[in-house]
Amino acid sequence: MDAPKPLSILAELTYRCNLQCPYCYNPLDLQAYRTELPVDVWTRVIDEAAGLGVLQAHFSGGEPTLRADDLIALVKAARTRDLYTNLITQGTFLSDDLIARLEEAGLDHVQLSLQASHADLADSIAGATVHEKKMDALRRVAKSGMAVTLNCVLHRANIDDVDSIIAIAEAAGVRRVELANVQFYGWALLNRGALMPTREQVERAGAAVAVARRRLAGKVEIDHVLADYYERFPKPCMDGWGRKFMTVAPDGRVFPCPAAPAVKGMRFESVLERSLADIWGFSESFNAYRGTGWMPEPCKSCDRREVDWGGCRCQAFLLAGDAALTDPACSLSPHHRLVETAVAADERTPGWTPRRMKSAL
Amino acid sequence: MSAGPAGPVRLARGVRFRRLPDGAGVLLVPEGVVNLSQSAAAIAELIDGERSSSDIAAALTQTFDAPRATIEADVDEMLARFAGNTWLDDGVRN
Repeated sequence: MDAPKPLSILAELTYRCNLQCPYCYNPLDLQAYRTELPVDVWTRVIDEAAGLGVLQAHFSGGEPTLRADDLIALVKAARTRDLYTNLITQGTFLSDDLIARLEEAGLDHVQLSLQASHADLADSIAGATVHEKKMDALRRVAKSGMAVTLNCVLHRANIDDVDSIIAIAEAAGVRRVELANVQFYGWALLNRGALMPTREQVERAGAAVAVARRRLAGKVEIDHVLADYYERFPKPCMDGWGRKFMTVAPDGRVFPCPAAPAVKGMRFESVLERSLADIWGFSESFNAYRGTGWMPEPCKSCDRREVDWGGCRCQAFLLAGDAALTDPACSLSPHHRLVETAVAADERTPGWTPRRMKSAL
Repeated sequence: MSAGPAGPVRLARGVRFRRLPDGAGVLLVPEGVVNLSQSAAAIAELIDGERSSSDIAAALTQTFDAPRATIEADVDEMLARFAGNTWLDDGVRN
């Protein structure tokens, strides 16, 4: 089929990070990505993306501000091509100087994450003493006038904290909050037993968000990413494989979804060997699950096939062993039991494995 | 913001209007792209931080063949919808 026009590129500048969050979606074999694209190749990638019709560039990682000079150059390059630019950061390196340089480069938006609302819990999740530093960065970047979203990934240890997270956003004058239930890929899947919230927690958090939304309507927008293991229908992952989004990993490999390297046996081409346009349009990986032609039942004859696009291909692979199956998170999937058993109380475990570059795995 | 007729209307920080090569208008927002109808795009394109809503309506009467009152009502309704989505600057920081 003809490739649709991409809307968005996620540029993962590095997988290096000074935090060790157990819910990171990055791949477990972080060392395999340690050769990072130089800034001139990244600039070409941004240029090619703009040529393809991409409208938004998201800079992430790892922690993208570890490559601060390159980040500034790439924000400028993206703005030259009239792209919307978004920085996804944990904020520990956001000095006043860096904020000023980002603003001057034309950065449109910053998404800054907190691990929880108070230092004890947040630092134990991050595996580092960083919470107060991040709170300070949040207040400073909000004061700068740049558009800010406060993000918090929710899981069993912090999901009861949503009201306090929203209160932090209000106090800092932030206009957008993203409360994202953890999605189980990479390190998060490894740590699923420690991170999985209970159904009661998910329902309580949902109710708290609904109340906060009514109270803050028109003042603070709250984006709530649902816990797909507890939903009736799967998330429309990436709004369909190879339909709007592409991710470029630190080493130049291009993924239809940031979690795609989990799909073993699939080859992902690199911007070092082929143009972005060719990879988007013609690579085997991007075409494998594009559109609806690949779908098995129950997706194929489902009214929702172009609503949730069969859910997530990576999740189908990770849970059921085949990326061409209906996402087991869907209640109609013949493999839905895999999800039902994963949320059961006897699957819960106490500790997690911190995200590290050199893991023992 | 209140979509009153007097004050200047400005897009919020982090929100940008863009006209695509095929003529369609979109709003670029923090986590996505909002496709605008033709009339919404015509209005969004005139939001420049200086024009008020009645200035925008006045500018549109030059291009659209409709009574001024109808256009004003449409502009107000659209701006209220933008404001409800926090796409307009309400004078409060961030």
